[in-house]
Amino acid sequence: MKIAMIGWEYPPFKVGGLGTHCYGLTHGLADKNVHIDFYMPKLRQKIKSDNKNINIIEVGETEIFPYDRPDDKELGGKFFDAVYRYNDLIVQRVKGKYDLIHCHDWLTMKAAVTLKEKLGIPLVLTVHSTEYDRSGWIYPNQWFIDIERNGMEKADRIIAVSEFTKRVIVEKYGISPDKITVVHNAVYPIGEGERRNLVLFLGRLTIQKGPEFFLKAARKVLDYEDARFVIAGAGDMLPRLIEQAVHMGISNKVIFTGKLTEEEVKHIYKISSIYVMPSVSEPFGITALEAISAGTPTIVSKSAGVSEVIKNCFKVDFWDTDEMANKIISLLRYSSLHDTMRQSSKREIQLFTWDRVAEKTLEVYRGIT
Amino acid sequence: MPSICFYFEVHQPVRLNHFSVFNIGNTRDTHSTYFNRNLNQKIFEKVANKCYLPTNNLLLDLIRQYDGKFRISYSLTGTFVEYCEQYLPEVIDSFKELFKTGAVDLIEETYFHSLSGLYDDLDEFEDQIKMHRQMIKRLFNYKPKVFRNTEAIYDNRIALKVADLGYKGIITEGAERVLGWRSPNFLYKPVNANIKVLLRNYKLSDDVGFRFSARNWPGFPLTADKYANWMSNSFGDVINLFMDYETFGEHQWVETGIFEFLRHLPGEVFKHDNLDFATVSEAVERYNPVGDIDVPWAVSWADEDRNVSTWLGNNMQIACFNELKDIGRKLKKKGDRDLMYIWRLLQTSDHLYYISTKGLEDGNVHAYFSPYDIPYDGFINYMNILQDLKEKAESR
Repeated sequence: MKIAMIGWEYPPFKVGGLGTHCYGLTHGLADKNVHIDFYMPKLRQKIKSDNKNINIIEVGETEIFPYDRPDDKELGGKFFDAVYRYNDLIVQRVKGKYDLIHCHDWLTMKAAVTLKEKLGIPLVLTVHSTEYDRSGWIYPNQWFIDIERNGMEKADRIIAVSEFTKRVIVEKYGISPDKITVVHNAVYPIGEGERRNLVLFLGRLTIQKGPEFFLKAARKVLDYEDARFVIAGAGDMLPRLIEQAVHMGISNKVIFTGKLTEEEVKHIYKISSIYVMPSVSEPFGITALEAISAGTPTIVSKSAGVSEVIKNCFKVDFWDTDEMANKIISLLRYSSLHDTMRQSSKREIQLFTWDRVAEKTLEVYRGIT
Repeated sequence: MPSICFYFEVHQPVRLNHFSVFNIGNTRDTHSTYFNRNLNQKIFEKVANKCYLPTNNLLLDLIRQYDGKFRISYSLTGTFVEYCEQYLPEVIDSFKELFKTGAVDLIEETYFHSLSGLYDDLDEFEDQIKMHRQMIKRLFNYKPKVFRNTEAIYDNRIALKVADLGYKGIITEGAERVLGWRSPNFLYKPVNANIKVLLRNYKLSDDVGFRFSARNWPGFPLTADKYANWMSNSFGDVINLFMDYETFGEHQWVETGIFEFLRHLPGEVFKHDNLDFATVSEAVERYNPVGDIDVPWAVSWADEDRNVSTWLGNNMQIACFNELKDIGRKLKKKGDRDLMYIWRLLQTSDHLYYISTKGLEDGNVHAYFSPYDIPYDGFINYMNILQDLKEKAESR
């Protein structure tokens, strides 16, 4: 089987779970003897494939960062132009004989739909997030929603990263549940490190990820237990968060790391005592799997897809910072809780392999080829 | 000729309120802040209407219908009786009426359905047995002859203590670890104590308790005549069918046909000449032990493991258990009766059961019975309350 996969990030260049997913998925599929041409934007640093069944093809330069939220005034000429240009480049570059096209999220959907019609082959679409997630359900932008809906309607099969996302696709985009398969994400094992007294937030500093709730919980924890709170990641909320920490009088306990490299991310998971993912909207939340894999007990938002599948972690409402603080304090205070959750969740997570993701994805492929 | 020994465990724990770390040290009225009165009342009334009242009525009818030849035994915990007295006294009245038939026996246990039999000293265990004894005396004017520890937890030490307290029989699980190749359908004697041991026939008991409505079980559907046949073909002196009373109407809903099964069971049993019913006291009087059992490590009737890992299987449970014992030592020195009572309510084994992290099949059973979504929530709640109580024990 040979497939054309269209994405826009791939390790080491990645900003989110999508890059991690594409890497894990392509390697899982390659191990099952699926040949993949992976099309992606051209980057400053050259990406080389490390697997003979995976061929990485850069189609051209683009200035688009799909997770950035352009202001309305910017959402005009330049941004549209860049998206259309990238999609045109893909359509031009994708040639050859494929069994199907597989694309990920909105940025590549226009090209994928065009290619499906041009080449006359089936289209599989994986939805990692929707416009509703990225906007934190506040003023979702119709331009993105229309692109997404068109892609979902034209796709022969849709893979959703959680039941939660499947529901959004059905309810908000009016897609039949029959053509949607849920495939939860996976994680490559990360080792454990020497714990410091750190409580970690890691993600883009945007409304979607809920970093301000993390700060509010930190404020409450610090009245009872001593710890340092690490906010790892970059994003448009950074200045506001720094200001908020100062205003709360906890700036000496909060560390802003900025954007971390892949190695730094692994390191920070390993040395943290607790990982908190207070996302307002989180289709899956692959970072929770990564933290657990590094032996870090994890508190996730109830609205995160990952909370559907992991039993051995805390689940809180993202806005309930009292309960978040209650759980952070308990994990810091009661070593028996920390130990038990660490061991049980690591055991549980062994089932979340990319091989399993590839197997389930392959089942979807087989259903339409 | 095997005698069927039907014995029902009747228990409700006193469930906890949500109690966060921020509550520690900020509580005044301990009872109302620790325990969730509304939830407890709601659950008790629900179970009373689904199980206790209808099952009592049915069994009373059956005893009368068969002139007292249908015989059963009960164990009522102190927390259960307190619920009855607070919310639905008619439940206790109906147990009294059952007892008056003479076909009903009562079994002793720890008042608080606790794990006190596993403490380093057995003084608290003894105190709670005596509390239960007083309660049974007060309500039924009766002195039980047979003892069953919480969840049938049993080891040599417990057997010796219970024998010393004057009981003629003790109940535990017919686990392979206890019996080896031997059958649970006989009485045995502990290697170290003079008391008769009744062993639960877990296969036949769980056929009703767990598998009754399991469609993928080869025995499904379980009918009274089929079940009576199985028992008639069994070999031995006694067939010990021990189960949670809530099996009837609560674990197995009325729609499963569990009440119809029970209604027809005595009649089907009496079709077999080699079967009759006996209470646990009668079984202990009638039969003699056929061999010794040696149980240095505690067994129980819980989960597949049939040991105490259900309550003390992970570090969180052990940490809470140690706190519980430590608070007890402090409170006994202080002699504060109100706090002692609170401490004892917190000893009910269910609080530790909710913190079990056992996976797979057992985990599902735990989840079914637990008021918490995950055991970690149960731990935080319980541990926070223990911390608050500890502060009180230390300060007063």
